[in-house]
Amino acid sequence: MNKFSMAQPRTPAEAATLLVDKRFSLPMLKAGGIDVVDHLKEGLYQPDLLINIRRTRAGDAGTANVSEAGGKLRIESSATLADIAVSEVALRLAPVLAQAAGNAASPQVRNVATAAGNLLQRPRCWYYRHEQFDCLKKGGPTCFAIEGENRYHAIFGDGPCHIVHPSNLAPAMWVCNGTIHVIGGDRASLPIADLFHMPERGVRDEHNLKPGEVVTHLTCEASPKSGFYAVKEKQSFDWPVVAAFAVLALDGPTITSARIAAGAVAPIPWPLPNVAAALKNLSLDDDVGLRKACALATEGAKPMSENGYKLKLLPVAVRRAVLIAAGRKMEVEA
Amino acid sequence: MPTTNRPINAGSSMNDDTSRLDGVAKVTGAAKYGRDRYLPNALYVALIRCPFGAAEFEGCNEDAAKAIHGVVDVSVAGKECSYHGQSIGHVAADSPQAMVRGISALKVKWKRKSVKTRISDSVKENPAIGDKAKSILDSAELTHEAVYSTPVQTHSSLETHGGAIDYTGDRATIYASTQGTSSVKDGLSGPLGLSQSDYEVVCEYVGGGFGSKLGGPGKEITTAAKLAAKYKRPAYLFCNRSEEHLDTGNRPSSRTLVRVGFKKDGTILGGEVRVWGGVGIAKGGGGANIPSGRYQLGDISKNSEDVSFNAGGPRAFRAPGHPQAAFAEELMLDEIAAKAGIDPLELRKKIVKDKIIQEMLELGGNLIGWKDRKPNGSQKSTMRTGYGMGVTSWGSASPGGEAEVVINRDGSVESRTGTQDIGTGQRTTMGIVTADAIGIPLKMVTVRIGRSTLPPGPGSGGSVTSPMTAPTMTAAAKDAKKKLLNLLAQQLTLNADDLDIKDGQVTKAGQPLLSWADACSKLPNEGISSDGGKAESGKGGSQGAQFVKLQVDTETGVIRLNHVVAIQSCGKVICRKTAESQIIGGVIQGLSYALFENKILDRNVGTMVNDNFEWYKILGPSDMPHIEPVLWAKGQTGIRALGEPPTIPTAGATACALFNAIGHPVRNLPLTPDKVLLALEGGVA
Repeated sequence: MNKFSMAQPRTPAEAATLLVDKRFSLPMLKAGGIDVVDHLKEGLYQPDLLINIRRTRAGDAGTANVSEAGGKLRIESSATLADIAVSEVALRLAPVLAQAAGNAASPQVRNVATAAGNLLQRPRCWYYRHEQFDCLKKGGPTCFAIEGENRYHAIFGDGPCHIVHPSNLAPAMWVCNGTIHVIGGDRASLPIADLFHMPERGVRDEHNLKPGEVVTHLTCEASPKSGFYAVKEKQSFDWPVVAAFAVLALDGPTITSARIAAGAVAPIPWPLPNVAAALKNLSLDDDVGLRKACALATEGAKPMSENGYKLKLLPVAVRRAVLIAAGRKMEVEA
Repeated sequence: MPTTNRPINAGSSMNDDTSRLDGVAKVTGAAKYGRDRYLPNALYVALIRCPFGAAEFEGCNEDAAKAIHGVVDVSVAGKECSYHGQSIGHVAADSPQAMVRGISALKVKWKRKSVKTRISDSVKENPAIGDKAKSILDSAELTHEAVYSTPVQTHSSLETHGGAIDYTGDRATIYASTQGTSSVKDGLSGPLGLSQSDYEVVCEYVGGGFGSKLGGPGKEITTAAKLAAKYKRPAYLFCNRSEEHLDTGNRPSSRTLVRVGFKKDGTILGGEVRVWGGVGIAKGGGGANIPSGRYQLGDISKNSEDVSFNAGGPRAFRAPGHPQAAFAEELMLDEIAAKAGIDPLELRKKIVKDKIIQEMLELGGNLIGWKDRKPNGSQKSTMRTGYGMGVTSWGSASPGGEAEVVINRDGSVESRTGTQDIGTGQRTTMGIVTADAIGIPLKMVTVRIGRSTLPPGPGSGGSVTSPMTAPTMTAAAKDAKKKLLNLLAQQLTLNADDLDIKDGQVTKAGQPLLSWADACSKLPNEGISSDGGKAESGKGGSQGAQFVKLQVDTETGVIRLNHVVAIQSCGKVICRKTAESQIIGGVIQGLSYALFENKILDRNVGTMVNDNFEWYKILGPSDMPHIEPVLWAKGQTGIRALGEPPTIPTAGATACALFNAIGHPVRNLPLTPDKVLLALEGGVA
């Protein structure tokens, strides 16, 4: 770890200015510090300026970290995962977000990790995180996962890099039609659907924010019928091997529309429009139909040598997320 | 704290209520481990390590490393490396930061070579069956042939390997993290350039060792000692988490082929067992204890060989060779029971050799609710419940080591032995046996352990610490008491045989005579000390039986552990809470081995990809079942082994419970969702 300067901006605008300050060769934002400190310890980043935005806020000082604004859910960029998980507003307007936030990492991490940091964290791929592997993401020639240990890697996408997107919040935001609000560039916001790109459109980074852009807050549509389900090997402090996210509109037991996405299966939050289309006009009481619709989740999947098991898990997770969104009991509950 | 939380164990021990004497110090940070000793003016030392499974050292930039501000010493002995983590030199610096910068500035060039990373790289097919086994199987009513495998498990000690050395020129204090204070002392005279009488090894607390911190100072402390001597200043070397996974030993992986013949009534006729132990670059240490000898398995022959590949070698790990063997043996028995159509608990009652274990099987079955167990694979629901079990045993150890008890004039008592506390509760048990032997409250006793200048005690390996030191300490305390009573008898012209001490009161013919304080005030200035007395030998081994109840989500393959009953004998229990804690800890380590732990090497370059606690997964709080330790008190005498036996049967019992729930065996640890789903489809997982 090398020496670096630390800046404490008062506003996101100040932070945005510092990000493009020519006096520094690698200025980086630090909010909760979880992923930044990981990178410092892993020897992957050597920033000369850390811009601490942990307590930098866009809204009024009095605004809650998670609030309701014009019928939408608003989350400040520095809201912690714990804030979101227990927020009465989030649980009412978009339970999928609260559930996804509450399921991530450990209580200690959730108490400091922030909403924006969770969205923009780098992948957990063990080749990327290992200083020794000069993988594509670090400018090297190869993705080591292809011929190597890929049990936790992507089942979707054509490469050349096979990371899975690590954030729980991003797919949750996607199913809620979320918007990312930014400062420091020539736009005020972008849809969550435009935030990430596949590796073939740039393998060195994962998101589409421009240099100098800083996330101020997130908003999303009220999605009261929404749900999250993750399959994790460990129930304490583990990453999902597959996660599913669902937003439904219901007329009695009938699904009138759905938005479905998956996490931990592709380099970006993975929309499942074919599943959503098949769920439309389906009755929740028709379990055969429901399972058939959810089985479409694996269409187009290209599993690697060790992760074919994720194909079995994905439809299960999607169905359970749908049931949770609809407030139905799953057979696995005690 | 009263015993109400575990009524089944109430009254089973010498001391039911005492909490670990150093518990508060440990949870508040007041307890200073070796790793906490950041000494003024210390050199911080790191080893330079090979990042690949096999690579040729092609050079590095030593000058660049030496040019880093704060870097004091760089030494590289370039060579051919054959495992990730192999060390080829060191960097020493004024600060941990400069040390890391120095390592990174070296920019070592390696030429990667092809690697082997697992047993299956060398052992691809099952050898032909032996003639004797063939004849047994040919004439048997039923047969079973299967391959069971286990991964490499690392010790994952929270306090990593290493030491901090306070070197003052002609004297030194070594703050070591070790399971053998005496063996560290013995190995450091040369590296330190000091006579053994001029330094002291201190190890008052150990943050886990599990066998990997036996056998002297190791290269970590030795390197630090040499640098301390060279620069005449303190030195500090502790591994980081990655190094701890790579180069401080492990439980070797295993592949076990069993071929057995048996009768329809479950009588096992015999056959053969072939074991391959995955020892990395080590020359040996891959043996697995199957057949364990705990069951009547008929005429069974065994062949065992070690398989090399590009990885760090094994070290002793809490019951070396046992958990992997018990996994194979117990699951094999459940598969045999299933083929014979017998309840696996009934099969074990029939073939287990030890009478005490037979009784334990009865009790454990009742406590876990075995009667609710459904036949293998008979459940159709999404969530299925499974019950499994396994047994354990351990040999005896004789009293040994040295101990000293001092009674001071102010009534305070010191209990002294050099043996370290590796987390088992040594400090607490030494206090309890001393207080008990003299007849005074525990609060009067101060325990001094973990220093090489104290009377030497054994290394903490083989579950011998309590069996060796408790009788020795008891003897010293009894002798000190005898000396005190003789002295009082002399002064008061009484018959020493009439005197005794009970609850801190000196009694004569059972009636109160003197308070403890008054009695001790009659001592000479130097008080009384004893390091003698004849230790009573408690013969006999330890036995145990464990039962696991779990649920399996058959759509995801995820296992949820519900309940573990762990019955364990260990002679006379000294301290209920620390004994229970040992059992619970052994079970947790076994469950973690069953479900998660796996050292994963990249198959192409041999680098460990999960050299952290993120992807090297260990059982966490939300994964934890209700664990019920049961101390077996019936007919127990002497102080017997407790450290290792409780971790032996757990993974096997868990695999049996999974088999019961889903009707298909998963013969390959860890029991991850992918394998469970594969097994449910009828595949060989």
